[in-house]
Amino acid sequence: MKRYGYMKLLVGLPLIAAVVFSAGYAVAEKSAGQVRPLSALPDYPPIPTDNASGKNVFPSKMDEKQELGDLLFFDPKVSGDTGIACSDCHDPKQGWGFNDPISRGYPGVVHWRNSQTAVNSGYLNKLFWEGGTTSLEAQAPVAGLGALSGNGSPDMIESRLTFTPEYVKRFREVYATLPTIDKVWEAMSAFERYLSQPDTPFDRYMKGDKKAISESAVRGKALFEGKARCIECHNGPMMTDEKFYDVGVPDPSEFEESGMQQVTVRYQLYTKGSAEEIYRTSKSDPGIYFKQKRLEDRGKFRTAPLRYLKYTGPYMHNGTLFTLEEVVDFYNDGGGVDRWGNKTKILKPLKLTDQEKADMVQFLESTTGEEIRLPVPKVPDYAPMADWQPRK
Amino acid sequence: MKKRIISAVLCCTAMLLLTGTPVLSVEYPDIGPLPERKAPNPKAVELGKRLFFDARLSGDAGLSCATCHNSEQGFTKHTDDKGQPMQLSDAYPGSKHWRNAPTMLNVVYKGKSFGWDGRLDDLDDMLRDMITDSMNMNMDMQLLQERLKQDTNVVALTKDAYGDKNMGTSQKGEMTHYVARNAIVQFLETLTSKNVPFDKGQLSPKAKEGMALFKGKAGCIQCHNGAYFSDVKPHNSGVPENPEVFKDAQRHFTYVAYMMFMGVDDRLNWRRDVGYYTISKDRQDVGKFVTPTLRELKYTGPYMHNGVFGTLDEVIEFYNSGGGEDRPGLKSPLLKPLNLTAGEKDALKEFLLSLSGDPIKFDMPKGGKIEYQPLPNWREVRN
Repeated sequence: MKRYGYMKLLVGLPLIAAVVFSAGYAVAEKSAGQVRPLSALPDYPPIPTDNASGKNVFPSKMDEKQELGDLLFFDPKVSGDTGIACSDCHDPKQGWGFNDPISRGYPGVVHWRNSQTAVNSGYLNKLFWEGGTTSLEAQAPVAGLGALSGNGSPDMIESRLTFTPEYVKRFREVYATLPTIDKVWEAMSAFERYLSQPDTPFDRYMKGDKKAISESAVRGKALFEGKARCIECHNGPMMTDEKFYDVGVPDPSEFEESGMQQVTVRYQLYTKGSAEEIYRTSKSDPGIYFKQKRLEDRGKFRTAPLRYLKYTGPYMHNGTLFTLEEVVDFYNDGGGVDRWGNKTKILKPLKLTDQEKADMVQFLESTTGEEIRLPVPKVPDYAPMADWQPRK
Repeated sequence: MKKRIISAVLCCTAMLLLTGTPVLSVEYPDIGPLPERKAPNPKAVELGKRLFFDARLSGDAGLSCATCHNSEQGFTKHTDDKGQPMQLSDAYPGSKHWRNAPTMLNVVYKGKSFGWDGRLDDLDDMLRDMITDSMNMNMDMQLLQERLKQDTNVVALTKDAYGDKNMGTSQKGEMTHYVARNAIVQFLETLTSKNVPFDKGQLSPKAKEGMALFKGKAGCIQCHNGAYFSDVKPHNSGVPENPEVFKDAQRHFTYVAYMMFMGVDDRLNWRRDVGYYTISKDRQDVGKFVTPTLRELKYTGPYMHNGVFGTLDEVIEFYNSGGGEDRPGLKSPLLKPLNLTAGEKDALKEFLLSLSGDPIKFDMPKGGKIEYQPLPNWREVRN
């Protein structure tokens, strides 16, 4: 943090001017000092002391824990009816996310938000669109056990893995225990940290290779930090301040057109906990309202990171914007509708020229390196315990 | 527990001394016709029937109550979809059950200790667990009610049947998971014996002989007593293990998952179904299962908690030889070899069959494919 101090000052000064210029209340929403500069990603994400693993990231070789996590990530035993694995909504072929606007869900249901990429998730401090969990180890069970996603139950998952000799062997090697549910989430998290990409053209550019990104992308970066003001929220190495804003993203058409989607919308409003009147009347996703039930939080979501974008469309929490061009247009128009009266005042029409918009897209694409693809592991089989004898 | 068994044994011995023949019925609630129950609300029954057959009640919408409690097979299941005999029940996809599905016929008379191990004393609670258990329907109750609220027919039926009630909601007549369970219980109220020869006092001479054996020499009445033909208490009769439970990894891990859910910490060491021990955690209760009803046996095979006996003849033979074997102190002391003659066994069987009435018949609810239609005026209507 310390080494950013000098740059912070440089970036901060024009920002203060911009904030004061645009509106006084924006100061309350964020202070200039919070805007970090863009920077290269560290070589590997922070590794928690209570879930130690190697510092290996793609494409180097995984360590044993990461390999175990890789296997579990692709294994539908970690779900309710063994019909869906993590990799079904975080599909390597779909940018380790899901390329429909709204993610598929557990069999028999549909989700209500866009599936986010697992790539670089180890660098984030707040996960999910509501930013509600603060570690991968805490995120994995929410996804694995939630009724719309994995719908698994810990007792069943643990028992299944205990009757899978390959897992008994691997858990013994990595943890010196039989499979336990906590270790499942830990190994998955270690694997997700492996899915890091700290060497994109953008990162090389930030480390001094001025030829790493195109001239157009360099111009886009200047717009990102300047005229377009993206950096006010999309800052730091992950290009997110991990704070919460309503930018006015429209509702997806599925909300009106699909009965199964309407079931999910009501279910989420109910099960995440809403005041009754909110449950009865909401037809949109109120975002982080669920956290503290404050009306002024409706429609706010955690700022999305802007990496691996080339493979992770469609964009926004509900996937309503299909291309980066559409995203740039959306912000060029000053964002969307102010449905709740909570739309951030940071957003103003940007009056970007066509060339500037194209430069922005070039820059946004520079934060994506080579596509991360791994061989899909073969899911191991169950075996009965060998020692059963009829009771005497 | 021990004390009670000792006193029961003492009682029996005393009576043997007094009368010379073991007449046990005085000690136990006598068998008899089923008492009348309050008629359920027919509109709620209609809704409950629909839900009983509705796969939307399970997590992946893959199975309904009727999948394992099949209305064509005595509300249990003895034959799979390929026509092969079944001993052990189906379960939620991704797991396989380790017990035989008990019949739903007359279950409302059971009153307590539902399930083979008697895990819960309230039918509504039991239903909740069946719907939410990972090996049964693996369903989220709040998702259940939202799925049902998407179905305009279900919403209309609910309004009709529960229009003056609000259960788990501020709105009268609104579908909630409380309503759904209540309606299914109301439907179960209709699954009771009809036209039972025993209840109507229409026993053949041979069946009468069987009844005398039942109450006397065979001693069945010690556990199978009252109008429900069960004391609804757990006993260990030494039923042999079903090897399939342990030879099939999926059945075994489903059983292990259940023990984990119930808080049994030595779950990986057992190679037998511990039954009531899962509930009591008392070693003396290993291998005990709640006495099943003997009503509607004609339709409800296979028998025993793990379906090891396919016919009543096998069951009678099993008890004639004094039940199965178990470690000292575990098996019920009530069981002794009976020395029944072939004719006596036949009479007993005839009596048992006289406890079955007409097959339950009703019009299946109209359903078909599960579809969720978008609600008209979605933006305007209140959720």
